[in-house]
Order: sequence, then C-alpha cells, then structure tokens
Amino acid sequence: MIAYICRRFLSMIPSLFLASVIVFSFIHFIPGDPAQVMLGDQATPERVQQLRESMGLDRPLYVQYAKWIGGVLRGDMGQSIFFHKPVLDVIADRAETSLLIAVFSMILIIVVGVPIGILSAVRCNSRLDQLFSGASMFFASIPTFWLGLNLMLLFAVTLKWLPTSGFPSIVESGDWSNLRYLVLPCITLAAPNSALIIRLTRSSMLDVARADYVKTAWAKGLSEGSVTMRHIFRNSLISVVSALGFTFVALLAGTVVTETVFSLPGVGRLVVESLLRRDYPTIQGVILIVAFVYMLVNLLVDLSFAILDPRIRYS
Amino acid sequence: MKGRKLLVFLAACVCLVLVGGAATAAPAKGGVLRMAVIDEPPTLDQHVVTSDLTTMIAQHIFEGLYTFNAKYAPVPLLVQSDEVKDGGKVVVLHLRDGVKFHNGKVMDAEDVLASLNRWGKFGARGPVLFGNLEKVEATGKLDITMTFKAPFAPWKNLLAFLNGGPVIYPKDVVATAEKKPIEQYIGTGPYKFAERNPGRYIKLVRFDDYASRTEPADGYAGKREALFDEIRFIPVPDVGTRVNGVKAGDYDYAEQILGDLFDSLKADDAVVTTVNQGATQGLMFFNSKTGPLKENFKLRRALQAAMNMEAVLRTAVGPKELWKASGSFMPDSTTWYSKSGVDAFSNGSAEKAKALAKEAGYAGEKITLMASTSYKFHHDSTMVLVKQLKDAGFNIDYQIYDWATLISKRADPAQWDIFFTHHGFVPDPVLYTFMSESYPGWWTTETKRALAKEFSATMDDAARKLVWDKIQALAYEEVPVIKTGDHFTYDIYSPKLDGLSASSLIWPKFWGVGFKATK
Repeated sequence: MIAYICRRFLSMIPSLFLASVIVFSFIHFIPGDPAQVMLGDQATPERVQQLRESMGLDRPLYVQYAKWIGGVLRGDMGQSIFFHKPVLDVIADRAETSLLIAVFSMILIIVVGVPIGILSAVRCNSRLDQLFSGASMFFASIPTFWLGLNLMLLFAVTLKWLPTSGFPSIVESGDWSNLRYLVLPCITLAAPNSALIIRLTRSSMLDVARADYVKTAWAKGLSEGSVTMRHIFRNSLISVVSALGFTFVALLAGTVVTETVFSLPGVGRLVVESLLRRDYPTIQGVILIVAFVYMLVNLLVDLSFAILDPRIRYS
Repeated sequence: MKGRKLLVFLAACVCLVLVGGAATAAPAKGGVLRMAVIDEPPTLDQHVVTSDLTTMIAQHIFEGLYTFNAKYAPVPLLVQSDEVKDGGKVVVLHLRDGVKFHNGKVMDAEDVLASLNRWGKFGARGPVLFGNLEKVEATGKLDITMTFKAPFAPWKNLLAFLNGGPVIYPKDVVATAEKKPIEQYIGTGPYKFAERNPGRYIKLVRFDDYASRTEPADGYAGKREALFDEIRFIPVPDVGTRVNGVKAGDYDYAEQILGDLFDSLKADDAVVTTVNQGATQGLMFFNSKTGPLKENFKLRRALQAAMNMEAVLRTAVGPKELWKASGSFMPDSTTWYSKSGVDAFSNGSAEKAKALAKEAGYAGEKITLMASTSYKFHHDSTMVLVKQLKDAGFNIDYQIYDWATLISKRADPAQWDIFFTHHGFVPDPVLYTFMSESYPGWWTTETKRALAKEFSATMDDAARKLVWDKIQALAYEEVPVIKTGDHFTYDIYSPKLDGLSASSLIWPKFWGVGFKATK
C-alpha cells in the first residue's frame, strides 16, 4: 500500500508539470493584457507599455515560464498582478471560505442524500420513492442562482434570520458565529448535489440488489437491515464515494455562481475574476493547486475502495 | 403690550422649533457605513487608473489641488489661491498652509511638485497637461509655478478632475512608487485608508486631523466633514444581492442597480433611490487607420443615419428617467452643451442610410463590429444597433469578446472597423478619448488637429465654447465616433442615512453624510 501511494505521488509530478505548461500557455495565448485591464480604457499605449515592463510581461514567454516555474519549485507562486501580494497569500485568503463551504456542503449532501437514496432504493416504486425522485429531479434541475436568490429573499430579506451575503473570516476574527453566513450558500450548493447523490445511491443499490450474493444473503435468512446495509449499501458505495470525491473538488473551486450570488470570497470567484483581469500568476497558481488537490482526492477515493471492497488490493 | 409679549413668545417658539428641527435634521457622528460596490479596484492610485470605482473610493482618501462645485466649475481644494500671468502662459498656485497628510506630515510644495511630476510622466491623464507644459517648479514652501509653452485653457479642469487625476501624495510615497502603482495610500482626505481585505472589503476610517475648507459644501467643494467612524466598501458583484442586502439591512448603500428595477425600487419604502447625474455615454469608435471606413466619411454618415438611438437606449438602459437621447457630447447640465451637428444624431432611416451608402460607393464589404459582454449595456446596445445596420443593408460582422480581449484586439487596426465602448462624464471636452490621437480610432484629420489646438489655446470661456461647437459639428461630419446617448446609473441606500441628496454629481461621496440622529 505504501509503495502504491509513493508511486501515485511520483506520477503526480509529470501530471502537474504538464498542467503547468498547459495553463501557462493557454492563458498567455488568449488575447488580453493585464496592464491594460488594470490601467483602464483610457490609458495611453506608452503608459501600458511602462507597466508591462515593470511587471516583466515584455520578456519572452519561455523566460516568464522559467521564472515562474522556478519560483513554484521554491514555494513561491509569484505576485498577484491585481492584489499586489503573493499568490499563495491570495489563495490562502480564499481557501478558508472554499474549504468551509465544501466541508459543510458535503456534510449536508451526505446527511441528506445518502439516507434518502437508501430509503428510495428500499421502498423502490413506492409513493415515498416517487416523492423523493420528483423532489430530487426538481432540485437537480433548478439553477443555483435562482435557488440562492430565493432562499436569500425568504430567509434574509423577509424573515431576517440570516445574512444576505458576505463571509467575515473566522480565522481572523475567531468568531464562529460567522458560520451563519454560510448556511444559505451551503443549502444552495447541497440541494442539487444531494439530488444527484440520492439518484446515484438509489440506482447503485438497485443494481447491487440484483446480484447473486444478495440473493444468497436473503436465502440465508438475514434480516432486512443486515442485507440492506452490509450487503447492498456497502457494495454500492464505490460509485457513490467516487461521485462524492468529484463533488468535493467541484465544491472547492467550481462554485463561482453561488459565490457570486452570496458575495463569498472563495476560490471559484477568484479563478473567474482573475481570468477576466488577466491576472496570470493568480490563475496559474490556483489552477496548479486545484489540480494537485484533485489528484489527492482521487488518490484518497481510490484508497477508500480498498476499505469498501476487500477484493481490491493495491500493491 | 400684551400683544407684543405674545408676538415675542411666538417668535421664540418658532426659533426653538427651527433650532430643534435643525438639530435633529443633522446627521449623527459615528457608525460604520457598509457600501456594496460592484467589484474591487486593482489599486487606489488615482494617478494611473481611470476606473470610476477606484475614484469613488479614493476621493475620500486623496485630494487634488482643485475640485468641482455643483455647477461643474473648478474651485480650489488644496490650493488657497492662484495667479494667471503672461496671458495664461504662467500659473502660480499658492497652497493652503497646515494641511496634514494621514501620516502626520504637513503638505508642502515639494509633495505637490513630486505628485504632479509623477502624474505628468506616468499618469493616465497627466500627459494632456504636461504635453503643454514647459516646466513646473516649486517656487516657495507653498508655491508652485507652472509655465506653459503657450496659453493652455483647460489646466484648471485637468487639475480638478480626480479620475486619473493629480491627487497629492507625500513626496516619499511618490519616490518609492514611480511607474508602479503606489502601495501606501496616504492622502489628505477626510477618511484615511485602514485595510484592504481582498474579496471582502476596503476599510477607511475617519481622519481626525483633517484640515477641512471652511466654505459651505457645494458639489465636491467646500466643507468636508467625516461623520462615519468607518466606511467599508464591500464587493458584491451580483446586483440582486446588492438590492437584497440593502433591503435586509446588511448594507447601507449599493451602487449601480439595474434599470429594470428602477420603478419598483422607487416605490419601495425600504430603500431610497439616487440618480448619478454624471452621464455615461455609449460610444462607437470608427477605425480611421485602415479598412472600409478609413476616410470614407460619407459611409460613416450612412451608418449613423441607420441608427435609432431611442430604441437602443430603451433596450440597454430601461426607464425613460435613466436616459436621454441627446446628440450633444457634453450633457445639458454643463455649459458645454451644444446642438451643433445633432440633426444627424438619431435618424433611424434605413432608406437614407442606403442612399448615402450607395453615394459612398459601399458594395457590401464586411464591416467588423466588436463589442463586449463584460458590460451588459455594451452588449444590449450593440444587439439593437447591429439589427438596425443589417436592416439598412450593411454587412456587419458582429464579434463579441470579454473586455480584456476587446481592448487587446482594438490596439491592432487590422482587426476591426467599429468597436463599442463607453465614456464617463468629463468636465472638459479636452478629456474625451476621441480628442486623443493615440486612442484607438485615431481621429487625426488636419481640421480636427487645428480645431483641437485652437480649443486648448483659447483662454476665454465663451470663445472656447464656440470652438467646441465647431469640433462637435466636425464630429458629426467626419464621424470618428458615434454617441448613443446619455444614460444615468442609479444607486439605492437605506432610509437611515442622512445627508445624501436626490442625485450625485459624478461619484457618490460620503463626507457630510451620516446616520440619522435619533431624537
């Protein structure tokens, strides 16, 4: 197992290198100039050129890449053009929000999605199953911005139970009551993802329920609970855990709509805004880190398979 | 006697009511203003950036030598008085004494000289003034002398316009920044910079040692009193969230609300609406360097003849209160308002356009029109304009980009024929981008060049206005740019705020503003 993990970590190096080359090339080849974006519409070409020079953007691309990747290897991802501070600090500022959103949304998704999925599978084609199927289709179909704004209208504007938007840092303030700012965003994110997990858990369990070993379990006279949870649910978990792994990464960096609606300073918004601002170092840094996290989560998901299914052995 | 006593008693009562009323009407000191803004600025360095968001925030921290009163006339701010000599060639500025920077240092001529020089060299609008300057020097502890190559009329307007303008920084801050944006935000304004928390807020706090002018407040001029303990500018990119935030009490002020919501918000007691009178204009620039529109003024007039600006503004902006289909480049709230050439502004006649295009020798050549989706009204305006142009028989290649791509592409004249942008309010026409020969579009005809020179050299205001009339008429004849009209953004705020007027001049300002005093 240890050897397998080491090999996987080693295989990440060429993948990350490739990702760095692709990201760097992609963002430098799309039209747009960070100096012009920063100075605005009315800046003279001379002024834009002066700023380009001061930012080192006038150097050949391979020189810029070598400088950047050399810094990355030393743990320095460069300076954000827009925020005028180290990229790692910018990402760290945003990581708190994204991590908390991802963790709490995941908890909601698991707590809501998995039990309802199990119940739907156990009570397949019953009224309850139809109700859950209808509800999950509804929540999977509605746009997140619509759900977010309506939740905001109800719970923040009308009932005034929760704040509309923003998220003051808990790390900086030490105030855990700031978690109330994340209630509506997490519900907004959890709703469509829970719906998908419900559908996936249900269908996986129904697939497994038809397997011979399940028939054997029933024939042995095991209780319904034992057959459902130990034989059907556990064996259907592989696909559910895979989906949860992908969902977690998507929640970390792919929640730009929800972050925009609730004005959350998260990584998703940082990526999109940095792209629009052509803040090259920030985009490169975020994407490299997200790629690394994606590979790490993938590895953890793969390792979890060995726990869920004893037939799987990594050597 | 009895009647006289009664009269005195009544008069005393009236006075008490008036005094009492005035006392309760004044905004209270203290509290935190939370303003929801559309984005966060890249820097607060006023010299180099022309974004309205930057200026709106920075005007509370930094001050210039002059500012504008409610009639958009330049009046002294950090300057005490000035002298104009040699028929306008020499200007001596006498600075106010005892004005402190936020770091405690007292401002002097060295700070002003360093700031002006940096602005002239690296500033967004500095070269317009410095291109006409022979020299600028500190001629005393509080005196600055500017010597122009020839009389240069717009000097005071250029010094007063804060957006991309010459705010005054301490000399050592200027020295450390040079061509890079400054990172130490130290000014002389009523609020001082406290903190930037990226993605969350920019925090300003009251500057207790602020040296305010003593004249009554008038536009951006006169007395400035910081009443809030703190102002937070919070980036809230979604307009629905900005509106909900003010309604829920999470924000006190929110900027740039959608036109579609104007009527419902005006009728909503939970918020107050305020319209910004500094008009924004949609502008379509024509390529004067290459392509089918180069020097083909008749073809440009044909394109203009096809356009109906009311339809454009109705679609792009919304309610009638928020736009004016006005052909005058300068708004009617200014002395520069002109009707010269405006007959050609919004004909909306496909027939006239076709006839003119035929006379111009147009044979269906492709005309590339670039617009951006980054600004909703750019996209909405051009959607209507492209339809009107196609209906008039023009072969329009409509290309949509994000803003960064568009401004990159427009630098290359081979890639476009027309691009759409917007222009914020400017107090002097010399600041219009189409007056600059280096701005994409590159309007550089001999007639324009001669009129621009005359415009800058004419010192008398009335005579300058006549020259501007000629320039506007020429703009309708040579059509370097087409204006789509004036539109006005509007903001909303909590009824708890006091001191804000029904409209703002250009950028909302928060000195003299506070929360309503509780009785």
